[in-house]
Amino acid sequence: MSRFESGMESMVDMFIYESTSLLEQLDQIMMKTESNNKFDEEDINEIFRIMHTIKGSSAMMGLENMSTLAHRMEDMFFIIREEKPVIESIETLYDIVFSSSDLLKAEIELLQDDDSVPTDFSAQIKKIEDFVVYLKTGKMPGAEDTPVSEKSEQPAEDEQPQGQAENSASADMVRIRVFFEDNCEMENLRALLLVNKISEYCRELKYEPASIETDSSTAKQIIENGFLIMFNADEEDYQHIIREIEDAINVKSYEIVEDEEIPAAAEEAAAPAPETQKAEPAPEQKKNAPEAAVSEKPAEKPKTEAPTPAQTAEQINNKLAQKNNHASKGKQSLISVNLNKLDQLLDMVGEIVIAEAMVTSNPDLKGLKLDGFQKASRQLRKLTDELQDIVMSIRMVPLSGVFNKMTRIVRDMKVKLGKDVDLVFEGEETEVDKSIIDNLNDPLMHMVRNSMDHGIESSQEERIAKGKPAKGTITLSAYNSSGEVIIVVSDDGGGIDCQRVMEKAKANGLLTKPEEEYTDKEIFNMVMLPGFSTNTEVTEYSGRGVGMDVVRKSIEKIGGTVSVDSKQGEGTNFIIKIPLSLAIVDGIEVSVGSSIFTIPINSIKEFIKLKENQLFYDTSKKEIVKIRNKCYPLIRLHEFYGLEPKSHDIYDGVVVLVESEGKSACILVDELIGEQQVVVKPFSPMFNRYNIKQKGMSGCTILGDGSITIILDISNIIFDN
Amino acid sequence: MANEAFVQSSKNDFNINGGQILLFYIDDILYGIEIQYVTEIIGMQPITVVPGVPEFIKGVINIRGKVVPVISIRHKINQPEIPYDEKTCIIVVELDELTVGLIVDRVREITTVLPTYTCSAPDFKSVNQNQYIQSIIDSNGEIKQLLDIHKMILE
Repeated sequence: MSRFESGMESMVDMFIYESTSLLEQLDQIMMKTESNNKFDEEDINEIFRIMHTIKGSSAMMGLENMSTLAHRMEDMFFIIREEKPVIESIETLYDIVFSSSDLLKAEIELLQDDDSVPTDFSAQIKKIEDFVVYLKTGKMPGAEDTPVSEKSEQPAEDEQPQGQAENSASADMVRIRVFFEDNCEMENLRALLLVNKISEYCRELKYEPASIETDSSTAKQIIENGFLIMFNADEEDYQHIIREIEDAINVKSYEIVEDEEIPAAAEEAAAPAPETQKAEPAPEQKKNAPEAAVSEKPAEKPKTEAPTPAQTAEQINNKLAQKNNHASKGKQSLISVNLNKLDQLLDMVGEIVIAEAMVTSNPDLKGLKLDGFQKASRQLRKLTDELQDIVMSIRMVPLSGVFNKMTRIVRDMKVKLGKDVDLVFEGEETEVDKSIIDNLNDPLMHMVRNSMDHGIESSQEERIAKGKPAKGTITLSAYNSSGEVIIVVSDDGGGIDCQRVMEKAKANGLLTKPEEEYTDKEIFNMVMLPGFSTNTEVTEYSGRGVGMDVVRKSIEKIGGTVSVDSKQGEGTNFIIKIPLSLAIVDGIEVSVGSSIFTIPINSIKEFIKLKENQLFYDTSKKEIVKIRNKCYPLIRLHEFYGLEPKSHDIYDGVVVLVESEGKSACILVDELIGEQQVVVKPFSPMFNRYNIKQKGMSGCTILGDGSITIILDISNIIFDN
Repeated sequence: MANEAFVQSSKNDFNINGGQILLFYIDDILYGIEIQYVTEIIGMQPITVVPGVPEFIKGVINIRGKVVPVISIRHKINQPEIPYDEKTCIIVVELDELTVGLIVDRVREITTVLPTYTCSAPDFKSVNQNQYIQSIIDSNGEIKQLLDIHKMILE
């Protein structure tokens, strides 16, 4: 990452991770408020906090453009919070917030590229500034309508640094001096981040030096004297604060300052000084206002909290003792981990499973009577099974993240298309492997867009005429079913018109058999052929005839399938089936000569020992197998791969009836060996140029005895034949 | 002669600086590969045949859970295959994150070669057989042929 100094990668990763999740949170809040049609104070505070954090952390990373944009957003919400203007054009506000959030997301995406240049956000910033002006000038009188809140807040803010702080507060306040790691640089901004983190827990918060945000020379002060935080909080929150301080990056050490009456008092005296200075010019110098507000924000909070008695030094000591007792237990319960490490962990567990099988079913042990060993190895098996389950579960991510992103798309399209649609989630807590989740976003987005654009009728009258509620519904549902996850995108729109699909398919030359022979299901699935779109007009969102085709391809890439079901006039369902995990496959081992292959169990229908009356030949002398009045082509696996079989007699071998993507075939193998869960290992990149995927091999796996088998990709074998 | 080699093969680091090479035999002829690519030498392993790949790729083996393709050096230098015996070895090399096993008749030793002993291979272009020879090393009265494993594996 050439935009950052080397050695900062981990911080960049952290920044990207944090900012992305904050922006997603922002989107969710905005979506919620939009559907409720009002902003709670809490929402505004939350948005404010999000923008503030992004501003601080992007400034720390030296991303000035992002920091400025976030700053302007923060200003805007400051005004909304403080002056409570009656906003007439609430849509403009939503537009601004959503577009800014998109810009920030795009910028974060860019950061991951090497040679990206910072985007110029000045147009967006101008938009926000204009809106701020509108909020202020257009609605200034409105602010006077709510003088009560203004007044009640104002004195509180004034009091805090002066009266309150000097008598009671100075005695109650816990003082913590934080030292940052040597050479971590930008200490002032790190201190600011820390303050932001703990501010929500304290009733009162002060820090010294106070001008950390605006004055970078304070960094030096912090290095020399440490960063002094003074706060006042409930017992529970106190623990939180200590934890936050402990967990903050780059914090080297911290000490709780006690009985430092004289210097503390001096600091107290020093601290309010810049604070009040800041508060005074606030009306004119709007730029400083939000910062001052944040440091005092907790002062607004204690509405519900009963005033706690003064915390004496003794109490603090007690708390400290408690804290030390719970230090190990009280750490935060979530961590973010690099995906590579998880992949490695999964690999390791795969190894252990194999190694365990190598030990416990070692040929050297054959014929020995080893009771103790058997007992111990059963214990080992139990543990490795559990280990495998845990590792798999770590990689599982709920679908709700992907689903939530769809809310945003529906919202945007609702506005643009003028359709009123509800998006409903079902079973969004269903979990799938992380590697699959990452590939689900685009296809789902295409499908939701498709349902919005083509599915839901364009006018409410049309819907009412059909006896449906005026408001359309798109449902995203997910559930587990026999080792697969099934995701259904359904709408209650017009459904697919078979007639029109047929005409279109004919016009595009997509028909492969006589028209009458197509079943409804086949017709529906034609919408997923390349170059198909029933919408005659190309809209901004869909209609280019690439969408559904892309959906099918990307779902198939992760080993899943898509099918369509529709009832004219009632709606359409898109059904996606995906494997729970790409890494582990249930398979049947079969042998062909000296080679062993694994056939994934989900493509096997049955095993047959052929009888003489079941074998036919077609005109080109190809073998056909008849099973219960259905005929299937026979593929001799040894011929397919040019191997030497145990026996050329078809009646000695076993026929496996396989099905993939609606096509079936019989595969002849020598013997069945057994069923096993296997860990999929990709082929060496060396094989890429020999196109072995096309030859029906999707990967390999290592069996318990250390030998390697090749996993067959049935769809390619059927296709290739 | 050494001087001439120096000039001719200046593109090659090894020929300039010399270095350590791993010596192995195919029949009774000594070959070498640069030690920097070698990660380990293992005995013969059961090989799983992968259908549909060229004949010189014998298949894949399992090295501590990693599936590694193996190549027959004999096949690459157009020598007839002989049955594997207890001296047959697989030299595991790593090139640009690609791990490959090379089957050789037997390995001998690791030796340091001074640049003065090295001369570049004659221009064999027409003779298919010798296309993988990077340079000829003549030390202690023994001739060793240094193989260009980049060329051998990646082409």
